[in-house]
Parts: sequence; structure tokens; C-alpha cells
Amino acid sequence: MMLKIENLHCKVETADGEEKPILKGLSLEVPAGEVHAIMGPNGSGKSTLSYVLTGREGYDVTGGAIAFGGEDIGEMEPEERAAKGLYLSFQYPVEIPGVPTITFLKEALNAQRKARGETEVSAPEFMKLIREKAKQLGVSMDMLKRAVNVGFSGGEKKRMEILQALVLEPKFLILDETDSGLDIDALKTVSDGVNALRAPDRGMLVITHYQRLLDHITPDRVHVMANGRIVKSGGPELARELEAEGYDKYLGEAA
Amino acid sequence: MTTAALTHTPAEQALIEALQGATGWRAQLREATREQGLPTKRNELWKWSDLRRAANDVSAAGELVVDGLDAAFLRPDDGARLNLTLTAKPGASAADAEVTVPAGHAVTLVEHYRAEAGALGNWHLKITLETGARLDRVCIAADAPDGVFVSSAEIVLAPGAVLNQRTLDFGAKLSRIETHITHPGEGADVDLGGVYLLDAKHHADTTTVVHHTGPGGQTRQLVKGAAASHGHGVFQGKFIVDRAAQQTDARMTHRALMLDDRAEIDAKPELEIYADDVQCAHGNALGAIDETALFYMRQRGLPAPKARALLIESFLAEPLDGIADESLRETLKGELRNRLEALS
Repeated sequence: MMLKIENLHCKVETADGEEKPILKGLSLEVPAGEVHAIMGPNGSGKSTLSYVLTGREGYDVTGGAIAFGGEDIGEMEPEERAAKGLYLSFQYPVEIPGVPTITFLKEALNAQRKARGETEVSAPEFMKLIREKAKQLGVSMDMLKRAVNVGFSGGEKKRMEILQALVLEPKFLILDETDSGLDIDALKTVSDGVNALRAPDRGMLVITHYQRLLDHITPDRVHVMANGRIVKSGGPELARELEAEGYDKYLGEAA
Repeated sequence: MTTAALTHTPAEQALIEALQGATGWRAQLREATREQGLPTKRNELWKWSDLRRAANDVSAAGELVVDGLDAAFLRPDDGARLNLTLTAKPGASAADAEVTVPAGHAVTLVEHYRAEAGALGNWHLKITLETGARLDRVCIAADAPDGVFVSSAEIVLAPGAVLNQRTLDFGAKLSRIETHITHPGEGADVDLGGVYLLDAKHHADTTTVVHHTGPGGQTRQLVKGAAASHGHGVFQGKFIVDRAAQQTDARMTHRALMLDDRAEIDAKPELEIYADDVQCAHGNALGAIDETALFYMRQRGLPAPKARALLIESFLAEPLDGIADESLRETLKGELRNRLEALS
């Protein structure tokens, strides 16, 4: 199993210093080659799940386990998990003034390669790689010379997240609300990018509130998350059912 | 004034002794030390940089070795570049020089400050920019981890003169770069940039006073700093705008990162304005590293120290972009990068 989450519990410290349980026994399995969607209402813990999986500080596992490629990653640093092949496309990509996107991506790729014991990519090789991937997503080289996400529109930021994934070639992608803030054209471009990343040896977890992204990226499985747990799993038809009927009945079940 | 006799500390006695027979600025320093002692935090201009205390391990006269200076009075040729290295040997010492940039000439002046352990070095420059002259001044305090070094300059511009000053201070037991500028307006232009990066127990003080005496002057100042645990950064910036200095446009910004809860940064931006038709502003902001950005970078695979260094570098480097000479600019940025990677 590529990603195996078992009875996962997580507490998050709130602004007033209290610890609040967010994930309450979440279990989920995503095999290689499959795309799974997690849908759920606001506040169900979807973004928390993406941060726990990638090791963000303050999102500690308090129970259960996360195994990636059969290895327990629950205690690993974020950069170790990244080097293992976990990639998070952020709901709100972060602006980093003063650091050009090209520089950032080259540093990131080589840091990952170094951590895996692979040789670093030379500057000309990297330029060739990024040119090819940028073309695929319709991103100009001019944009890549600008500081990471600074002054980009919402759509451009999401496109950059997918471009970074195309360059870093992770084994597993977590897409957190990738459709938010996208117009129809941008949604199509980003979805095409995601679909280009589908591969037999790669898994994906698509976290979304709405069904519309799933019209473009057809998931193999859909899971409904409510109150920190998966409360129902099914095929792609479950997404359409949720769109039509809403989450109310699951909120009742979860309580 | 004071009636009680001042008991000099060993450092004060040593400095007075070192300056026996001195003239000019060094004689003034000797007499000021004799009458008031070294400045302490009770002195408003030194309230965050207690020089007397920092010099507590100094007890003998020392020497301030000046390399790269042919004469104590200089009138450099157009296009000249002066590279000065000031090395304070253990003990108390002082040296000074005068530089006049002739009308219409452009000159680059680079000063490297070094202070050995147990040194109290005092360096003073009197700089005059004649009409239409340009001075690019770069001061680097990178080599004084256990010493005390105080650099002060008094810079007077004539109309149409341009001063572009950049300081890069990695701190010392106490490092202070103090600049007093007389700005006549009338087409003169002052641009001040400063960067400080302080590892544990390092202290750097950037103090500037820009006195606008005539109409239409432009002044820009951007100082950025970062201090690690037990590092102490000080910024004191003052713009004075005389009644005669109408249409002065002067902007001061200080921004600093506290890299640890135990870092200390003190800032005092001041405007003293006697003219009514001016545009003057100052901004001051202290913050911490953006943890969200740090996580974002680590999620992409950058190890935490590398991610931190990149974030701090991108924050600090901006004032160095104003260094006109490209190779000098890249050298200083490289130095900044090296220090960031070694930061504890």
C-alpha cells in the first residue's frame, strides 16, 4: 500500500493556547496508481490532514500511524517526507519575496536528490527540464524569474504549484483545495497538469469541498470526511451525490 | 557643570593616555573622555550601546592600524577607489582622516573594520563633498567578534552632491557605525542603506543623523537587520529638517527580524521638522521569521537551516542592491550568505 493511514488522531493548538482534537481516528488507504478524493464540509479537518501528512509543526500525531511506502513517516521532518516523495499543493501557496522561482525550485530539487543519495542536477540540465515543464503548463520563463508566488494571481499560484510538482516528480501528491480561486480556463489548465501526473507508480489525494474539480480529475475513490474521520467511501458517483444532497446527513452520523 | 571628580575606568585612562599630544578630532575625543568618560547608557545617544561597559576589558593603550591611506588629508582623483582597512589592536586607540571629493568627481570609499579581542578602536572620518561630487561609501564590520569598534563620520555635502552609503555590520562585542550628514538640499541627494546580521552575543549599532539645511533635498534610508539569540541590534535614525529646508523629501525605514525570543532589537526613528512644506516619513517594523513560508520551503525539500538562510537572506539583501559596484555588491552578498549558513 502506498499510503496507509490508520486510526489517526491529531490535536492542534488553537490561538488561545488550547489543544483541540481535529482528527479523531481517521483511516484511509491509497494504492499506487490511484486517485482518491476527500470531500467534506468546512471544519471537517481536511486541511489539518494535509498538514499532518506532510509534518507541519504544531500538527502532531497523537495516536495512530501514517505509513508511506510501508515506512512509518509520522515522526519525520517535513523535508525528509518531501525527499521520500510526498508533495503538498497548498490551498494558499506562500509568497517568498526575494527568492526567484527558478532558484527556489533548483535548490528544492537538488536538496531532495541529495537526501536520496542521487547526483545533483546541473544548471543547464535544470534549465532544460524547467523549460519543458513550463511550456506544458503555459507558464512563461519571465514568470519563473519572479520571486516565488509574489504578485501572482490565485490562478497563477495554483498553476505554479502544479508546475513545481511536474519538476519535482513526487511519488504522491496531496492537492488541498486546488480548485479554489480558479476560473474555468485555469481549472482546465491545472486539471490537465494533474492528469499528466497520473501514473501507475504515483498516488494522489485530492482534497476538495466541491465536485467541480472532480469533473476534470476523475477519482478512483471518493471518501467523505466529517468531524475528523472518514464516514463514507464510494466510487466517483459519491461525489455527484454529495453535490446534489450536501453534507448534512454525514454531519448527523459523525456527531 | 559637574562638580564631582570623575573616576576614570582603566579603558578611559588608557584612551586618554593613547591620545596624549593628539590634535584635531582625536584631541576632542581625549578631552571628552577626560571630562565625561566613555559614553554609557545614561547618555541618550548611547542608551542601548554602553561603551564604557563594553570596554571593561581594556586597560592599556593600543593602536589603530590604518591600511590603504596615503595621507591624513585626501583629495582623490575622479574615479578613484579607496580601500581602507582599520585594524584595532588590543587596547584603546583612535585614528582619523579627512577626505574631500572635489567638485564633479566620483569616488568610491570602502572601509573594513577589524577589532581584535580586548580592543577599543575609534575611527573618525571627516568627509566633504564639493558641488556635484559623488561618493559611494561602503563600510563593512565583519571581523571584530571580541573587540569594540566605533566608526563615526561627519559628512558635509555641497549642492548637487550625491552620497550613497551602505553599511554591513556583523557585530562585535560592540560595533557602532555612526554617520552625521549635513544635507544642503539644492539638488543634493542622500541614500543610506544598512544591513546587520547578529549571531549570539554580537552587538551592532547603526546611528545616523541627517540634517537638512536647504530646500529640495532628497534622503532615503533603508536599514534591515536580523538578530539571533542574545544578539543585540540598535538602530537610531534622525532626520532634522530646518525651516529653510522646504520641499525636503526624506524617508526612513528600519525593519528587523528577531530570529529568537532572546534576541534584542531597539529602534528609535526620529523626525525633527521645522519646515511646513515637506514630505517626511519613517517606518519601523520588527518581526519573526514567517513560519508558514518556512514550512512551505521545507515541504519542497529544503532542509530547515537552508530554508531559514534563504528566507533571511531574501529579507536582508535589499539594501545591498544599492551598491553601485557590481563585484563589490556580489562580494558583500556572498559574505552575507556565508554568515547566514554559519548562523547558530
